[in-house]
Amino acid sequence: MSQQTDPLISSRRSFLKNTAMLGGGLLIGLPLSACATAGFPKAGDKDFQPDAFLQITPDNQVHFYMPRSEMGQGTYTGLTTLIAEELDVEPSAIHVHHVGPLSDYENPEIGFQATGGSTSMRVSFKPLRQAAANARAAILDAAAQQLNLPKAQLTTQNSQVLAKGKAFNYGEFVEVAAQLGVPDETPLKRSNEFKYMGKDMPRLDGVAKSTGTAQFGIDVDFPGLHRAVLVRSPVAGGSVKTVDDSAALAMAGVKKVVTIYNGVAVVATSYWQAKQAALALNIEWNEPEKLASFSSDTGKKWFADALNSGDFEEAFELGDGKDGLEKASKVYSAEYWAPYLAHSTMEPMNCVVKIEEGHCDIWVGCQTPDVARGLAARICDLSIDEVTLHSTFLGGGFGRRFNSDFVAEATEIAKASGLAIQLVWSREDDTRHDFYRPASLARFNVGVDKNGMIESWTAQRAGPNIMPYTLDEVVDGKAPGFMPNGLVDWLSKRGYGLFNGLTVDHSSVEGLYEDYDAVNKDVQHVTVDPGLPVGFWRSVGHSFSGFFKEGMMDEVAHGQKQDSVAYRLAHTKNNPKLNGVIKLAAEKSLWGKPLSKGHFHGVACHNSFESSVAQVAEVSVVNNEIKIHKITCAVDCGFVVNPDIVKAQMESGIIFALSAALHGEITLKDGKVQQSNFHDYPVLRMAQSPEIDVHIVASDKDPSGVGEPGVPPVAAAVANAVFAATGKRLRSLPLSLS
Amino acid sequence: MITFELNGEAVQADVSGDTPLLWVIRDHFKLKGSKFGCGMGLCGACSMMVDGVSTRTCVLPVVAVANRKITTIEGVGNPQMLSTLQQAWVDASVPQCGYCQSGQLISATALLKSNPNPSSEEIDQAMSGNICRCGTYPRIKKAIQSAASKAVLTGQSTQDGGVNIFEPGAQAKEGMA
Ligand code: FES
Ligand code: FES
Repeated sequence: MSQQTDPLISSRRSFLKNTAMLGGGLLIGLPLSACATAGFPKAGDKDFQPDAFLQITPDNQVHFYMPRSEMGQGTYTGLTTLIAEELDVEPSAIHVHHVGPLSDYENPEIGFQATGGSTSMRVSFKPLRQAAANARAAILDAAAQQLNLPKAQLTTQNSQVLAKGKAFNYGEFVEVAAQLGVPDETPLKRSNEFKYMGKDMPRLDGVAKSTGTAQFGIDVDFPGLHRAVLVRSPVAGGSVKTVDDSAALAMAGVKKVVTIYNGVAVVATSYWQAKQAALALNIEWNEPEKLASFSSDTGKKWFADALNSGDFEEAFELGDGKDGLEKASKVYSAEYWAPYLAHSTMEPMNCVVKIEEGHCDIWVGCQTPDVARGLAARICDLSIDEVTLHSTFLGGGFGRRFNSDFVAEATEIAKASGLAIQLVWSREDDTRHDFYRPASLARFNVGVDKNGMIESWTAQRAGPNIMPYTLDEVVDGKAPGFMPNGLVDWLSKRGYGLFNGLTVDHSSVEGLYEDYDAVNKDVQHVTVDPGLPVGFWRSVGHSFSGFFKEGMMDEVAHGQKQDSVAYRLAHTKNNPKLNGVIKLAAEKSLWGKPLSKGHFHGVACHNSFESSVAQVAEVSVVNNEIKIHKITCAVDCGFVVNPDIVKAQMESGIIFALSAALHGEITLKDGKVQQSNFHDYPVLRMAQSPEIDVHIVASDKDPSGVGEPGVPPVAAAVANAVFAATGKRLRSLPLSLS
Repeated sequence: MITFELNGEAVQADVSGDTPLLWVIRDHFKLKGSKFGCGMGLCGACSMMVDGVSTRTCVLPVVAVANRKITTIEGVGNPQMLSTLQQAWVDASVPQCGYCQSGQLISATALLKSNPNPSSEEIDQAMSGNICRCGTYPRIKKAIQSAASKAVLTGQSTQDGGVNIFEPGAQAKEGMA
């Protein structure tokens, strides 16, 4: 964590604003946002939506209001562990709540309340511990006063204050503690004092998720809730021209058929009824011309033409990349391709909306609750205080639930139908109406000097940018309430054009050039965008650049007749973290030692989200079939709060990335996505999953990302192993030898 | 009116017979543990045991289960009383997002009922209908193996074919009835 983004430092003055009594007890709040100055508003009287991180009640319950979404990555356990450690409470004794939006929960690195970019632990590590440490200090102060003992004679153990051989519950002191106020900047525990942090601990949501009792958005239900199924334009961005709903309206259970901005919704008593009736709709569409003219079989040429146009924007320069190529004794050139990809979270998109008496209630699992709430407010013409968002567990996110399109749809349907509704997407909807990982074409020219070292590393990338599509929603959701709707629409639609002309979207080029030492670098970008919506897909730009860059590096190493590991080590002298994980992965995989007959190794490494990961894939190829036997993975993600969760995230990232490496491809025909479900957009199953062996570098640096960094090296490690096995260089995803 | 046995209790559903069992269980009986993932029998999120066999219920019309025994995740155990497998799941921190896990546990439970000590390949085979997008497969396998070896080691055996799926068996079954 760099100094200027450290929320602890930047918000030191406003840190720990408030203690207050609320239903009894000590409430500790702290602003995570760097500039938060407001105190905590009162909890709403309609619903329990408290505005603090931490609450300790007189009957000794500890409540933690979790400011981030749990979508599998382990935040629920990880953040609670931070609290448990400094407050001195068993992690499993803490009641964890998902909370709705509040400005104090904003992600200081993202600028709004978001779970993404593998930031949760990174940005919470110090502030949450500090909040808990201060709370414990406040309780000790109160205990000293109440027990009339010097503070030095008091200690704590598992929600109790110990004094003179007696134990007193924290709860006994919270009222006095709340009156005395909470000290600022209590010293944090040193690592040798940690009881929970740094140790393997079972996930705190494990029982709920092993008994079917964890509540996801799709499980929300109450009397009077109707189900909605929406039929969308098959070409993204289209709208309804005409609709014949007479057959649908006549079907059992159907209450309403409504047209909204992107399609026609059937509202019925049950999901199955709505789904059947939706099949009976007859709709003609207005389709956006540009996207409707795009088909994948010919469309790759759009990307190639853009790359050949020379119409580049400069994205990064170090030294003189072109000059470096001219001076080089040998130049290696290659082009790499990655297709559009869908997220396919296990839980299809869904959202419950109830609008009643000037208030809108939303139940949803999403990664950006305050954007979602803002969008709903704008649609309903309400202030954000008149919208309550209730968060649930997320059945997978991977970046898909960073977008709030499904919340906007559900709100429009609830508003148009006048009914409380749950919008449920089918798998087909989910596959065909995603914000896809952008397809990308990149060209490298890498020059090597007479000593065989890289002299110039240059890359050019053609493809769509994510930011314009995100801006559209964020502007709508976060524009100040006084801005008229017309202006907001104009701004967000214009945002696309404004943005694309203004600057290079960093996520379009991230990871193409940073990792290896070279005195000259040059990165250029050209936007080509057929108009298929694109979004954040686990590891974002790194999801393609990791494959591109690591394939290219392997080509150069091979061209120079150098060992793939040794060549990488020689070019990471200025990158000790990456250098370290390469060494560790090589050592643990027994790189260079004989393997079983027909098995081959490939290596790849990548920095992303401030973490370093290296992987060695053990692969065999039989009849052009690629079989992956084992992935050895080394990760340096700073101090590790729960090693088992880091391992789980590496396993998860690897299997997620293998699905993409071996199978993942979204293609279009006349602008329509051709895939629909798991038969034509397959993902890895158990039998195809390799053995995975994860090793963590011990570190006392601040924690960095783990949810995403396991993804980027995987496809390249496999492709590089396939090269070792067959001599064929695979430069296109998904990997295929036939 | 369709009658069947749900987690040990006789129930009746007044729904159209072509409604898939999944939606009858979720929308009509309000048991939300079984999930919707694909609606095409491809992912296993909706798995329930029908007469002990793990079955994709998103494509199973409710008429097809008339007079049969349905076990959902709610019938396998609960937070107060975990089955051996559920305990193994918790111990190995199997779930990530958790969305697929009800279906995984149903398939694993059905597997151990019919094959108390499965090989690695047999586990792959039995679990091949269940997708986990979070990639928890290595841990699922580990948890199944640990539950199986535990059952074998402690010599627990039941009428269910050698594995005590419910722990403690008798009470759990009473609790469900
Ligand atoms: S929802 Fe039934 S198999 Fe996927
Ligand atoms: S735990 Fe998320 S899909 Fe399996």
